[in-house]
Amino acid sequence: MPDGKYPSTPRVDAWDKVRGAAIYAADDARPRMLHGALAVAAVNRGQIVSLDVERARAAPGVRLVLTHQDMQGVQSAGFLLGGGFAFQSFQPMLSPAIHYRGQPIALVVADTVEAAQHAASLVAATYAVEPFQLSLDAPAQDIVAQHGSPLPQATYADKVAGDADGAYAAAAVKVDATYLSPPQHPNPLELLSTVAEWRDGTLIVKEGSQNSGAVRHGLARQLGLDPARVQVLSPQAGGAFGQKNSHQSHTVLAAVAARRLDAPVKLVVSRSQGFHGASFRPASRHRVRLGADRAGRIAAAIHEADQQTSRHDLFPASFTEMTARLYGIRNFRGHERMVRTDVQTPGYMRAPFEHPAGFAFESAMDELAYALDMDPVALRLANDTTVDPLTGRPLSSRHLAECLRRGAERFGWARRSMAPASMVERDGTAIGWGVACGAHKAAASPAAARLEAFADGRIRLAVAGHEMGQGIRTALANVLARRLSVDPRTIEIIVGDTRAADQHLTAGSWGTASATPAADAAGERLIQALRSLDPGYSGGAPAEVLRRAGRASVAVEVATKAPGQPDAVFQRLQGGLPAVQGPEFPDFVSMSYAAHFAEVRVEPRTRRVRVPRIVTVVDCGRVVSPRTAESQVRGAAIWGLGSALREISETDGRYGGFVNADLAEYVVPVHADVPEIDVGFIDEPDPRLNALGVKGLGEVAMTGVAAALANAVHHATGLRIRELPIRLDQLLAAPAARPT
Amino acid sequence: MHPFTYTRAATSEQAVRALAAAGPGARLLAGGTTLYDLMKLGVERPSHVIDINAVQELSGFDTSGPRELVFGGLSRMSDVAADRRLVEGYPALSEALWRAASQQLRNMASLGGNLLQRTRCPYFRGGAPFACNKREPGSGCDAIGGIDRGHALLGGSRSCIATYPGDFAVALVAFDGEIDVLGPNGARSLPVEQLHRDPGDTPHVETSLRPDEVITRIRVPATRAGRASTYHKIRDRESYAFALASAAVGLEMDGDVVRQARIALGGVATRPWRAREAEEMLRGRRLTGRAAEEAGRIAMRDAQPGSHNEFRIELARRTVADALTIAAGRA
Ligand SMILES: Cc1cc2nc3c(=O)[nH]c(=O)nc-3n(C[C@H](O)[C@H](O)[C@H](O)COP(=O)(O)OP(=O)(O)OC[C@H]3O[C@@H](n4cnc5c(N)ncnc54)[C@H](O)[C@@H]3O)c2cc1C
Ligand code: SF4
Repeated sequence: MPDGKYPSTPRVDAWDKVRGAAIYAADDARPRMLHGALAVAAVNRGQIVSLDVERARAAPGVRLVLTHQDMQGVQSAGFLLGGGFAFQSFQPMLSPAIHYRGQPIALVVADTVEAAQHAASLVAATYAVEPFQLSLDAPAQDIVAQHGSPLPQATYADKVAGDADGAYAAAAVKVDATYLSPPQHPNPLELLSTVAEWRDGTLIVKEGSQNSGAVRHGLARQLGLDPARVQVLSPQAGGAFGQKNSHQSHTVLAAVAARRLDAPVKLVVSRSQGFHGASFRPASRHRVRLGADRAGRIAAAIHEADQQTSRHDLFPASFTEMTARLYGIRNFRGHERMVRTDVQTPGYMRAPFEHPAGFAFESAMDELAYALDMDPVALRLANDTTVDPLTGRPLSSRHLAECLRRGAERFGWARRSMAPASMVERDGTAIGWGVACGAHKAAASPAAARLEAFADGRIRLAVAGHEMGQGIRTALANVLARRLSVDPRTIEIIVGDTRAADQHLTAGSWGTASATPAADAAGERLIQALRSLDPGYSGGAPAEVLRRAGRASVAVEVATKAPGQPDAVFQRLQGGLPAVQGPEFPDFVSMSYAAHFAEVRVEPRTRRVRVPRIVTVVDCGRVVSPRTAESQVRGAAIWGLGSALREISETDGRYGGFVNADLAEYVVPVHADVPEIDVGFIDEPDPRLNALGVKGLGEVAMTGVAAALANAVHHATGLRIRELPIRLDQLLAAPAARPT
Repeated sequence: MHPFTYTRAATSEQAVRALAAAGPGARLLAGGTTLYDLMKLGVERPSHVIDINAVQELSGFDTSGPRELVFGGLSRMSDVAADRRLVEGYPALSEALWRAASQQLRNMASLGGNLLQRTRCPYFRGGAPFACNKREPGSGCDAIGGIDRGHALLGGSRSCIATYPGDFAVALVAFDGEIDVLGPNGARSLPVEQLHRDPGDTPHVETSLRPDEVITRIRVPATRAGRASTYHKIRDRESYAFALASAAVGLEMDGDVVRQARIALGGVATRPWRAREAEEMLRGRRLTGRAAEEAGRIAMRDAQPGSHNEFRIELARRTVADALTIAAGRA
């Protein structure tokens, strides 16, 4: 059996990407293609009273204007967490109801995109407005505890181990602090975009997605079609980050228009409409209490959190699923509540719960270290575990302590002096060094794969999985190339295509751990098939064997699932529904881990914060594609920096919606912000989770980065800033953040 | 985008004639980085667009003259920013350009267009449903009492508190720059400091330029203060962002004593803001850290905070102080 570390092979689609040969949905440009543009609601809640589309209809080049009056027979696709397929239960344009500003109220289709956009601006509506609320400080009837709610309690009930309140009360050293995380938008560079067309009664949709299966089945439900009559092609998404993890609201509009017009319709949702038309990271507030003995053994942790949801859906949080498992804290209580606000339903922006929870919990850990006067790395090492505190089951693997040790070594942590504001450059620049850890569930989903080898030398793998830029094709190619002893470049990989394989949601860092074991198993099955043609076959190019046997091709199919999953999960896979297991498995619990070390420099006068370097060491099991894995970790460090120091979606209580809804005003890091990022991997396989030993990476890599930076800011300045993003607003507003 | 007609002018005179003929709905097109942006947002809705990119006499610049620097209205930000004589002799002017926008934008954007860029106020850019006196006179100002983190601390009125976002004009104001304009009645010149108007009750009238005038040239008198100068810009990220606060500073020094200081503030006022009282205070003083900080305080003495922008008063003070220190280091 092949094993050992994988080589750092180039990204298989790098060459295509730099040449523009990687094709995204909106790249589809053909004669006869029509273009859509959305008109959106100007109010945040209420009803459309009148909708005047006559001017839009009369505008030059316009072929069609759709409003809620033209959508008879179309259904909601259902909420992803309620047995449905969409990021929210509410489908705009099925009624006059307005649930959020920016909600589509009309689709204009025209010969050119300019004509469509112009005509969309001519759509005029009047509304009967209703009051709305946006704040986490909501009236009691808008607050729903997850515990005891209609949500599946196995996942969303309070997380309780031991007696946290009792142990906290008795603890010698305590921290009790509240942390805030703002709404944020993922802004994948590829805008939400769909090309819909009908061919012989079959709807064909091109859309960058992490979940082409849900798009397919969502459309089938919405339009009352047999799913066999809907095919979705999503060979690449130009970034997705959780925003493209389910069926979107605009897709069906393009499909209906294409049917009416009997022509392909392309609908690209503008950047600012994307701030309102798709999911985002909701605001959350976390109260964390930690109680420890004087030696730094943490006896109790209580983590209570409120997270924003929409009025029409209960979008729950899983903050404490992670924080309960980060350390060996025997007494833990986690409690989460959802706060109804008048927005589109929020969603799973990268490290959706782990990032805000990590900021809160790992900031509190730093506060505890200072309360104890104990080195923050030593505090974390003193609270390591091999057992899952919530279930008592063993952890399938945990190398967090090693991440901390290696990270500290690479960073030079030993040279740090503990006292805040104690490391200062000659010009007065304050230096701050911070550390924080992260964990993320290691989960897996069922996957179907079809592997075909041809006598002309081609090898083609079709598998459940999506390429969002994370490098799944490269990981699959590496695994299969090793299994078959062939050059990875000879393997064609088809992902995100419902015609080729049933597609499961690729998210939650389970993509690689789900797709690569399927590819590996398919490779093994292919070897068997080739052996039946040539008993002497022991790997290498299959074409030889096929030619000798006089066969044009040979194909094998496999289906794999996570440990302990029942066979019924395959039906969910076929039905486009999520079927994920993890972090809890029958015999163990699996998590990925990361340790981050960050340096900040704070200018003496202006207090401008700069970040020269970040060191991250990750335990994600076996690293099957070192090059793309490293780039995932770099991206996560940069995004963690953005989230910690830059990004906030601003809301105006008078209007609802988001005010800074473009890439000039929503401040993400640019190249000049990007520090030196040193990436390390433990690269120890976790064979209990799957044969390859792969855990997850994309999200754990970001979990804790913000806390490492916030802790570094504290170390540099003595200011403990508990609200993200940390900006000059707080650093200069002395009364709100006096040195501690 | 709303439909519009488009013509190209070959000379400045042609551009002026075309403007006059088309009436108030016409706009000149230089790099288009402001105009197209606002057209796509529906904030600018010109009926007629006159492209001046082919007008030869507007492009190019000359920084070699003994008395003044001369920049064509159409010279590109990136070309001017990279000019060696400017980088060495007038770093404030060069830095104000290369610390603005992005390389791609600077490659397109002209200096004339740069001076006339419009505010980043989200209620102005956002269109309906927001009320904005600048976009729709008389409709109100949603920034007041709204998200005013980036809004002006100096020069605001009850009608408008929009910040003038540009950087280059701030440096020009510090160095007594002038513009030459051509209109139907011939040419005239005016100090850049008089180009942008206080909002008062008419925030939609942003400049003292008439709708049918073309900026042909920008001129800056040669000065020894050019060398000991900087454009210091503090923003929400390291590049590609507008100023939270900025300061253009130029110094003429006798040893460590200030003979003459030039200070203009950016990002904090409704127009490029010359801080003359601070300049006066520094005259004849040793430029200590204390003195620099005092200059910052004086420069921001009249600042009026709103709901979310008070921190920028302190930031601007310190930005001025840092700018003075940086400039003095170049003397
Ligand atoms: C994302 C983004 C970030 C930016 N960041 C910054 C920044 O940090 N700092 C900064 O200073 N700027 C910044 N800018 C603004 C940018 O510098 C301006 O858009 C640019 O300088 C405008 O020049 P232009 O030639 O493209 O003007 P255009 O868009 O062509 O014209 C702008 C206006 O000026 C008029 N006009 C143009 N030329 C003349 C002329 N010769 N005579 C009379 N009227 C004329 C036009 O009719 C129009 O009304 C940014 C812009 C963008 C889009
Ligand atoms: S500050 Fe000026 S530009 Fe902004 S909304 Fe008010 S009037 Fe309009």
